[in-house]
Amino acid sequence: MLEQIEGSVAVARAVALCRPEVICAYPISPQTHIVEGLGELVRSGALSPCEFINVESEFAAMSVAIGASAAGARSYTATASQGLLFMAEAVYNASGLGLPIVMTVANRAIGAPINIWNDHSDSMSQRDCGWLQLFAESNQEALDLHLQAFKLAEELSMPVMVCMDGFILTHAYERVSIPSQAEVDAFLPPYEPRQVLDPNEPVSIGAMVGPEAFMEVRYLAHKKQRMALERIPEIAAEFRARFGRDSGGLLHPYRMEDAETVVIALGSVLGTLKDTVDELRAAGVPIGVLGIASFRPFPLEALRAALSPAKRVVVLEKSFSVGLGGVVSTDVRLAVAGLALRGSTVVAGLGGRAITKDSLLCVLARALRDELPDLTFLDLDQGLVDRQLERERAVRRSGPIAENLLRDVGTVASKVH
Amino acid sequence: MTTNATECLLQLCDEQFQLEDYQSGVPRWCSGCGDNAILAAVQRLCRDEALRPEKTVFVSGIGCSSRFPHYMKTYGFHGIHGRALPVAEGVKMARPDLTVFVNTGDGDCCSIGAAHWIHAIRYNMNLTVFLHDNQIYGLTKKQASPTSPIGTKSNTTPRGSYLEALNPVSVTLGVQNVSFVAQAVDWIPEVLFDIVKAAYHHRGLSFVRIVQRCPEWLPKSFDPWLHDPNRVQILAHANGLHPSAALSRTYKNQLEHDPSNIHRARELAGDSVNIPVGILYRNPEVPCYEDLIRPDLLRTPELTRSVLDSEMDKYTIWP
Repeated sequence: MLEQIEGSVAVARAVALCRPEVICAYPISPQTHIVEGLGELVRSGALSPCEFINVESEFAAMSVAIGASAAGARSYTATASQGLLFMAEAVYNASGLGLPIVMTVANRAIGAPINIWNDHSDSMSQRDCGWLQLFAESNQEALDLHLQAFKLAEELSMPVMVCMDGFILTHAYERVSIPSQAEVDAFLPPYEPRQVLDPNEPVSIGAMVGPEAFMEVRYLAHKKQRMALERIPEIAAEFRARFGRDSGGLLHPYRMEDAETVVIALGSVLGTLKDTVDELRAAGVPIGVLGIASFRPFPLEALRAALSPAKRVVVLEKSFSVGLGGVVSTDVRLAVAGLALRGSTVVAGLGGRAITKDSLLCVLARALRDELPDLTFLDLDQGLVDRQLERERAVRRSGPIAENLLRDVGTVASKVH
Repeated sequence: MTTNATECLLQLCDEQFQLEDYQSGVPRWCSGCGDNAILAAVQRLCRDEALRPEKTVFVSGIGCSSRFPHYMKTYGFHGIHGRALPVAEGVKMARPDLTVFVNTGDGDCCSIGAAHWIHAIRYNMNLTVFLHDNQIYGLTKKQASPTSPIGTKSNTTPRGSYLEALNPVSVTLGVQNVSFVAQAVDWIPEVLFDIVKAAYHHRGLSFVRIVQRCPEWLPKSFDPWLHDPNRVQILAHANGLHPSAALSRTYKNQLEHDPSNIHRARELAGDSVNIPVGILYRNPEVPCYEDLIRPDLLRTPELTRSVLDSEMDKYTIWP
């Protein structure tokens, strides 16, 4: 059924359709509406039986999810930004234990400086933790990915993060198709836990593993992610067969036919990119877009195959490895190693800075002329940075950075003197 | 280490401060929010005690209350969720000469930062801690907090919260090394100020729970106490609060309570009918963390003075 609803509400409805037995969460913007939506569904009885636990922190949220999942319950939580970082130790724990928890990450920047707006720094910081990471392009896909995530997680006994852009998706009202409970039940079988509390076979979970087997346990997680590379497209195909739409999968190719230039991105910015590319295509430029829907596991082979015919690739990413450059582009580089392909990284949209079509057209024009450097920061105010560097050179006690920059841009700084 | 000589000379001047010297920006809190009352009391304290803005720090975590440092024209540190206390401890250890205040909310202190809370009490550093307790998460728009009364309907507890509220005063009074615990309400400014002042003057960790209204998300939560002054019990004592005659006309429910009696303090803290307001416990004998570690490692005023002396001695012209 088509409904005009907020992205967070759509996700709450999707999660509820998956019949989770335990939900635990701590509020943090921009995730809050998701768990509030679920709280409401538990209250109204629409989601039953389900325990909704208000925990005292994100660290507790993930820990409770671990306990619940280990005891055999389908478990769900959601967080963002600082919350994800605070739960980091438990995030690794969940994947190490092979617990099929599903978590929504409403992608948001990480402070300091405090910033509640969208970029991908939070989930990218957990890139290597063993969780699968699926990125939603639209609210419909965010909804659909949750159904697929539980299926994938439970098949593989691995936790899955569904990443959706904070505010841009979580707070946007869009028309989404909500499947019926019967449809979801047919797609997602009841959870059959791999480890249960069995009095006939009592077991302690969380064994200490020394050098004799630690690498094998970790490798197993890698192996399962490699297996997921096969299962993700199959699940997406099954999803398409049942629900009649494309959602998930490894990659989202758009106008890739004969594309000499390919722009790679993740998440909601793909919409803006498609519009931009349409404009360029209309002007006769052979350019296409390749969305990465599965960031972990990273689809090296699929990406290489898709990029092989191209001449240049631009990775547009909302994440930033300070001291190196792009996060996604490092992985892309690995995928295309040895191909005669000119590549550049464009870091964009950090802390919620708008990624406009005009700016994209500008940067892509430079790419098409092969004038784009290896690393560009979209709409970066270099003067602002230079002024701060100059200040730091001139005086030792140059003061706090963020406050200085805010004063320079003329925003009312946190302190009015 | 070096010390600025003008800093020393400044201290010699007779300093007069006005409220404006501590006011910074226009608070973005909702009108009627208890945070405004706390800000007013604290700015008044700073003026009356002539706290030099450059010698004063306000440290906060995350939440409505944690915007506090932005509204003080002193040093401020707006940290991460739940970590106000350890950040303040770090500031205090590096600069024991500074007056350090902590503004934390019921989410920040009693929920995500609860582990730090227990240990901060135990360390008993010379900090003044204000727990802005409005019994709800305000900044994220109405979710139950650990201090929400049982049955509170919120966006994450639509059936009403299941658990008895955590009592921050009882918890604090139960921790080893507790040295100062008081409780205030935002709607009696006179008493709020007296308590804030007593907390400031206590050497050690002074913990003040300030029961505050949230007109936006729990507008009626404290109506029973607001409408019936007898349900606010003023704790008076020669070593505690001295309620004025004017105040006593309205708040007739008064009790003599000796703040040195921790057992009685614990009994009073557990009162679920009345809100006890006053100094519940004070023990100046509990050693501060600063006194237990090697004081010579700290940048104490004494150390500052001795370095300053030797600096000034360089300019001495011997006869």
